[in-house]
Amino acid sequence: MSLNKQNIESPKDRQNRHKAMEAIRVLNNLKEDFKYPIKAMDYFYDLFERVYCKNESLHKNKVKVGVMCIQIPSEIIYALDCVPIRLCNGFYTDDEIGSEFLPQKSCPLIKATIGYFASDNFIDKPDIIFSPTTCDQKTKAGAIISNFGHRVVDVDYPRTKESEASREFWRKSVKNFAITLSKFQSKKLNKKNLKNSISKIGYAQSLYHKLSSFRQSNNISIRGVDVFLITNAFFFDNINNWIKAMEALLKELQNRVDSQIYIANKISPRILYTGSPPIFPNYKIPYLIEQSDAIIVADESCSSNRMFNDMAGVDEWLLDDMLDSISDKYLKACTCPIFTKNEDRIRRIIHLVKKYQADGVVYQAFAGCSVYELEQRSVLEAMEKEGIAILYLESDYSPSQSGQLSTRIEAFIEALKNKKRNKK
Amino acid sequence: MKYFAGIDIGSTSIKITIIDEEQNIVGYKISASGSMFYKYAKESLQELLLSLAIDQSNLAYIVSTGYGRKLYKEANENISEITANAIGAKAAAKEYGEIKTIINIGGQDSKAISLDNEGNVVNFAMNDRCAAGTGKFLDVVALKLELDIDDLGKYHFLSTGVPLSVSSTCAVFAESEIIGLLGNNHSVEDIVCGVHYSIAKRVVKLVKRVGIKENIYFDGGPAMNKGLVNAIENELGKKIFIPKYPQITTSYGAAIIGIDSYKYEYDL
Repeated sequence: MSLNKQNIESPKDRQNRHKAMEAIRVLNNLKEDFKYPIKAMDYFYDLFERVYCKNESLHKNKVKVGVMCIQIPSEIIYALDCVPIRLCNGFYTDDEIGSEFLPQKSCPLIKATIGYFASDNFIDKPDIIFSPTTCDQKTKAGAIISNFGHRVVDVDYPRTKESEASREFWRKSVKNFAITLSKFQSKKLNKKNLKNSISKIGYAQSLYHKLSSFRQSNNISIRGVDVFLITNAFFFDNINNWIKAMEALLKELQNRVDSQIYIANKISPRILYTGSPPIFPNYKIPYLIEQSDAIIVADESCSSNRMFNDMAGVDEWLLDDMLDSISDKYLKACTCPIFTKNEDRIRRIIHLVKKYQADGVVYQAFAGCSVYELEQRSVLEAMEKEGIAILYLESDYSPSQSGQLSTRIEAFIEALKNKKRNKK
Repeated sequence: MKYFAGIDIGSTSIKITIIDEEQNIVGYKISASGSMFYKYAKESLQELLLSLAIDQSNLAYIVSTGYGRKLYKEANENISEITANAIGAKAAAKEYGEIKTIINIGGQDSKAISLDNEGNVVNFAMNDRCAAGTGKFLDVVALKLELDIDDLGKYHFLSTGVPLSVSSTCAVFAESEIIGLLGNNHSVEDIVCGVHYSIAKRVVKLVKRVGIKENIYFDGGPAMNKGLVNAIENELGKKIFIPKYPQITTSYGAAIIGIDSYKYEYDL
C-alpha cells in the first residue's frame, strides 16, 4: 500500500475554511432568498464576507479593546481613541472547538467565544479585554481566556439594579474601567473627547431608531434578519463607515416607501423576537421565522435593540456628569436576565409588542443559557396575562436541528395567521 | 368524482389518507419512511391509488405534512403537522364531541395541542430534541425485552403492584436503566408498565403546559397501545378519546385542508 501524499490542512486553515463556509452559506441565503433586494444592504453583506471569508482586518493601526458583554461603555473606548470589539461569537465551528474546555451543557455563545480564543486565530486581535461580571458563564469565560495568556480585566457589575447602592457600585466600576484603559492607552479622558464620542454613538443610535420607525409601519420595508446583520456589524465595524452605510440605507428605504415597495403580505404575522442573542452566522431562528412568511418587526435582545434603545442622558457636560449618565445607560436601562427580578424586561417586551403591533412573540433560549431558561416561565405567564401569543424555543448552534424547529415555528405562524384571518 | 390526498411524511412512517369531497375516508396507507422520504411517499401514493382504482387525474389536491413535507414536490400545499393534526382530530371526533386538547405521540416527537372553540390551534408544546416519551422509545424497549411492539399493551395489564420507575430522559440511557432493572430480577410486565408510566408522566407535563381542557383526543401510533392509554388516563385523572384510526389523523387533517384550499383556489 502506498502512502497517500495528500496535504493535511493545518487546524487554523481548517477553522478558517469552516467558518468561511458557515458565513457564506448564511450570506447567500440572505441575498438569494430575497425577491426585493435592498442595494444599501450590500455594504453589510460585503462587510461580513470581507471579515469572515477573506479574513480582512478592519482596525490595523488601532488599539483594539475586546469587550465580553454589552455593558462596557463604548463611549469611553472611542473617547480614548481605541476601537471596541464585542467578542460574543455565533460560529458553530468555534462552538465545537470551545466545547473541549467547558462542561457539555454550557451556553453555545460562551463555547464559541472560548473556542475563538483557544484557537489563537485572530483577524483583529484584541490588545486588552474587559469582562463585566454579568452571568456566571461569561464571568468564568473571562478567567479562562486570561489563562490562555490574554490581558483580561474584570469589571464588577451588580446583579440588582433597583437600589441606589448598586448604582453607586457600578458608577465606581465604570470609573475604574476608564482609569485602567486610560493608563493602558496613555491618554487622558477629558470633557472634549468624551463629549464627542457620546455624540457620535448617540447619532448612531438615532439612525437605529429611524430604521426602527420603518418597522413600525403597517407596510414593512426591511426584514428582521437584515436588521440583525446591521446591528451585528456594530460589534466590530469602523463606526464612521457603519454610519455612512446606515445613512444610505435609510435614504433608500425612504425611496422605497415613496414608491410603495413593501416586502411582506398583510397577512404575514408580525413577530417580536426576544431571548438569547442571534449573532452572525447563527441566524437560524430569525431566518426560519421569516422563511415561514412572518416578519420580525422588533426585538428585545442584546445583539440588537438592547444595544441601541437607550441613550446616555447627559444633564451637564462635566466629566463626572457624563460618566454618571453613561453608567446609568449600561445599568438602569439594561434588561438582561442576569438581574434578580427583571420586571423591566417584561415591561419592555409588552411595550415593544404594542408599539410595533406585533401579533406574537418568539422567545429563544440557547440550551445552556441558564438565565434565559430561568426567566422563561415568568415571561410566558406575563404574556398570557396580556393575551399575547408566545412561542418558546430552545436551540443551539448546531446546523442539524432545523426540522424540529421549523415545525414549531410554522405551526405558531399558521395559528397567528388564522387568528388574523378570523379577526377580519 | 374528485379526491383529496393528505400525505404525512413522519420520521418513522408515511401516512396517506384519501378522502372524497364530503370528507369521507376512501382509503389510507401506512408505510415505512426509511431513508428516502420522497421516493417512498411517491410509491406509496401510487400503490394506494391503484388499490382503490382511482385515477391520478381525479386527485384534485394534495397537501403534504410532517417532517418530510417540503420534500414532496408534487404537493399543492404543505402545512405543519400541528395545524393538520388539529383539523384532523376535530373532524375524526365529530360524533364524540368538541375536541379541546390533543395528545400526539409520533416516532420522534410528542406534542400537546390546545384548541379554541372554533378548532384553531391556540397553543402547543413539544418534547425537546430527544426521543424520550416518543414511539421510538417504545421501539427500543420492545426490542430489548424481546417483545412484539403490539404486545406491550397486553403485558402492561399483567403487571402487579407499583409500576417501576424509569427516570431517564433519554432513550439510550433508558435502555441501560432497563438492563439494570432486568439485572435486579424485575419482571418484564412490571418494566413495561413502568415504561408506559414514564412516557405518560412526560406527556402529561406537556399537556399541563398548554392547559388541560375537555375533551382530550390521543393519536399517533402509540395510541393503539392500550397500556399506554391506561397510564396516561391515570396520570391525567381523565378519560381520553382514541379515534378509530389513530395513526392517520394528521394525514386526514391535511386532506381536509386540501378540500378547503381547492375550493378557495377555484372559487367553488
